[in-house]
Amino acid sequence: MIFKREFKRNLKSLIIWSIVLSGLILMTLSIFPQFAQQQKEMTKLLEAYPEPIKKAFGMNELNMGDLIGFYGVEIYMMTTLLGSIYSAILASNILAKEENEKTIEFLLSKPVTRSQIVTEKLLAVLVNILILNVVSTIASMIGFQFAKDPDVPTDTFSLLIIATILLHLTFGAIAFMLSSILKKTRSILSVSLGVVLAAYFMNVMAGISEDLEFLKYFSPFKYVDAAAIINDNELEPLYIFIMVAVILISILTSYIVYRKKDIAV
Amino acid sequence: MKIVDIKNLTKTYNKNRGIINLTFSIEEGEIFGFIGPNGAGKSTTIRTLLNFIYPTSGSATIFGKDIIKDSKEIRQNVGYLPSEVHYYDDMKVIDLLKYSAGFYKKFNPKRMKELAERLDLDLHRKIEDLSFGNRKKVGIVQALLHEPKLLILDEPTSGLDPLMQNTFFELLTEEREKGTTIIFSSHILSEVQKMCDRVAIIKEGKLVKVETIENLTKNNLKYITVTFERAAQMDFELEGIVKKEVNGNEMTLLYSGDIKALLTRLNALSIKDLLIEEPTLEEVFMHYYEKGGIEK
Repeated sequence: MIFKREFKRNLKSLIIWSIVLSGLILMTLSIFPQFAQQQKEMTKLLEAYPEPIKKAFGMNELNMGDLIGFYGVEIYMMTTLLGSIYSAILASNILAKEENEKTIEFLLSKPVTRSQIVTEKLLAVLVNILILNVVSTIASMIGFQFAKDPDVPTDTFSLLIIATILLHLTFGAIAFMLSSILKKTRSILSVSLGVVLAAYFMNVMAGISEDLEFLKYFSPFKYVDAAAIINDNELEPLYIFIMVAVILISILTSYIVYRKKDIAV
Repeated sequence: MKIVDIKNLTKTYNKNRGIINLTFSIEEGEIFGFIGPNGAGKSTTIRTLLNFIYPTSGSATIFGKDIIKDSKEIRQNVGYLPSEVHYYDDMKVIDLLKYSAGFYKKFNPKRMKELAERLDLDLHRKIEDLSFGNRKKVGIVQALLHEPKLLILDEPTSGLDPLMQNTFFELLTEEREKGTTIIFSSHILSEVQKMCDRVAIIKEGKLVKVETIENLTKNNLKYITVTFERAAQMDFELEGIVKKEVNGNEMTLLYSGDIKALLTRLNALSIKDLLIEEPTLEEVFMHYYEKGGIEK
């Protein structure tokens, strides 16, 4: 019941985000053929970029004339960042909204346990994130067809997709936990988005300045760095472990807090 | 059989008063009033019974089941109407009622239509566009729809016009004939008197008394304002006067005696105006209980 309701309630925003993200992916990939053709000039142009910028966006380690390299620099940035923002918005609202709008009195008077409420809402977040990723992956695969040589290494591409989903789930889980603890949806949303953007900029800053390099350990965006995944063709086990741990701890905390919470509106 | 059994139930918030050491029980099939001024702890008790909030100490059972451990099972057979009704703005009335019905084992669309018709509620309007009173009606249908064995109604009449209140009381009477137990909270004494078998009077989080309506109305406390033509009737004495105050040519009485005797007495005097009212709850508390003057 609750899952169905949440899915329906969030469907409109899922569709909008899917269309916007797919549109951006297709548009960006459509310029790749030209880009690849003029690769030599382009590479020269890119080399003229200041070193920190190149580092910040992984341009120095990836060959942008290569389809997967182009994906890693251009598309991957959009899917990871925009998808994380979507996940944070979605998850930060889902539990607290009922308290904020006082509809929780209705829901709690029905024969459902608190755990059931958390589980079904969590499932709604998971399914929405997965759908967004399926749609954006399909959009990328369609976009690849614009290229003269549309083949990308399947294993590397799969790793990038898995990393993206893990990243989204990490931010989603953190926002969900905040949603179980706090009551005011607006403040939860600001904190969740703050976490995503701070993580993103920490990653960028870490790339720009060597003094700030330590920041990268605080940023999940670094954990899913495209250059590392493409060049090594693997996900760093330590980073996977950290993200999975953050996800599990956040979910566990949500259950514990929500089950014991006094909910008075 | 005891439908609700509350033992030493205490809930203290950080600052708020909450409820302190409540102990009472509610029998099967009775309409039980829960009365006290705003902020006395009526809603807190109800929310604790439904496990929205956890008790600080003490315990309670509903249908013989623990309110914390078996809360889900209990709620399968409970209908709850909150004092302030808040629903999902994006839903139509019918969407909400179907969503609500989906949580229970039985759904009877015929009953939904009947209830809506009797309460004059349009099922196809958006909840967002409804007035406070109409939202309350949605709440009433939602609480009654699954034919619960226990109805918990928190200030159910607020926002309903008198005509609707009558329909609502009719519905409750029908439910009661089916054997439903009803808990009814209110701060309006007359309303509770009309419907309930017994009432728990609660004040500042503490139980003052559980009393049958019969006993409560036997003393028939009335608040009487008499305006005389001249200001010189200080010697007004009659059996049953609990409290007397004179202010110029106006006299206010708290009276629990025979109303006929009062009228006969007043008839002999030159009065300009007479007002007979229900005393406010505060007055009942102050004079009926604390001083305990006329109780025995």
